[in-house]
Amino acid sequence: MSIKRNFSRAGLCALFMCSFGPASAQQLGPAAAAASAGPGDSSGEFRSLDQDVQSLKDEVLSLNRDLFLLEEELLFPANSQVAFYISMDVGEYFELDSVNLKIDGKEVANYLYTERELGALLRGGVHRVHMGNLKVGEHELVAVFTGHGPNVREYRRGATMNFSKGIGAKYLELEITDRISKQQPEFAIKEWE
Amino acid sequence: MRRMRIALLGVLLAAMPGLFAASSLASSGLAGQPAPDFVLKSARGTNLRLSEYRGNVVMINFWATWCGPCRQEMPLLNDLYSRYGRVGFSLLGVNIDDDSRRAMDMAEELGVTFPVLFDERKEVSRLYQVEAMPVTVLVDRTGKVRHVHLGYKPGYEEKYLTEIRALLRE
Repeated sequence: MSIKRNFSRAGLCALFMCSFGPASAQQLGPAAAAASAGPGDSSGEFRSLDQDVQSLKDEVLSLNRDLFLLEEELLFPANSQVAFYISMDVGEYFELDSVNLKIDGKEVANYLYTERELGALLRGGVHRVHMGNLKVGEHELVAVFTGHGPNVREYRRGATMNFSKGIGAKYLELEITDRISKQQPEFAIKEWE
Repeated sequence: MRRMRIALLGVLLAAMPGLFAASSLASSGLAGQPAPDFVLKSARGTNLRLSEYRGNVVMINFWATWCGPCRQEMPLLNDLYSRYGRVGFSLLGVNIDDDSRRAMDMAEELGVTFPVLFDERKEVSRLYQVEAMPVTVLVDRTGKVRHVHLGYKPGYEEKYLTEIRALLRE
């Protein structure tokens, strides 16, 4: 009798264990599957979002560059473009304060130079004082330089040049140099080839 | 006739706040925008360009010799300049009189030590949409307009102090 009871008890336990096991496995399965799948999916999503953002940024930068070039081409087309540059090679005879430019009697630029900007010019910098459009033909440039000359006297000198605007961009350089022989500054306008 | 005058006066009085608001909106629309760059001749004879002050907190004060509140305000601005000039604060007083000599006389009379610039052609005041006097603009270290004050009343200098200190701390 006791053997039979023990056997039946063991059988019942075995039956119980068998019924419990697979259910647990089933319960664990989906969770385990979810746990293993989640991080992988979301990191993949983030990576592709990041790539999208980067490519959008690249597009925006490239668009900005194209717009800038287009704007320059529309406003200052290369074939009618004319630009004027200032350069200095002076030390003792002239301290530049401002430059005034007139083309064909019309004022196109009036630039005041700060101490910092003068320092840059003296170190070899070249300043684009004006860029504009001109028709093909003969034009007159009048440049007036204001500053302090020898003995810190107020100084005002002009330079005039007639130039011919052809097809293609035109670049003119207004150069201020020391003329040691006369102990005076010299103002010259020259065309860039 | 009398009724018409009263009606006209009423219309004018009703419109005044709107007109003032419109003019105050003009300058205050600059807040949050990059401060328009300019260069002007100073009373000392040098040319000063706003963008060369980038990195400092800059106060631009537009004033005129005929402006009573400007006379009240300028010595107080000078105090701010003396106090904070060493720690990255710059002040530019832009005068819009037709005759710069009167401006120089007034600045000397008031004991102003900050740079006084002359905008005889009114180009800079147009750029900053100045329509009433005085106008005080505060520009942060990155060159952005952060505060615009229209007019002056006693006590405004306390606001300036708070704003300058906050911008210096940034």
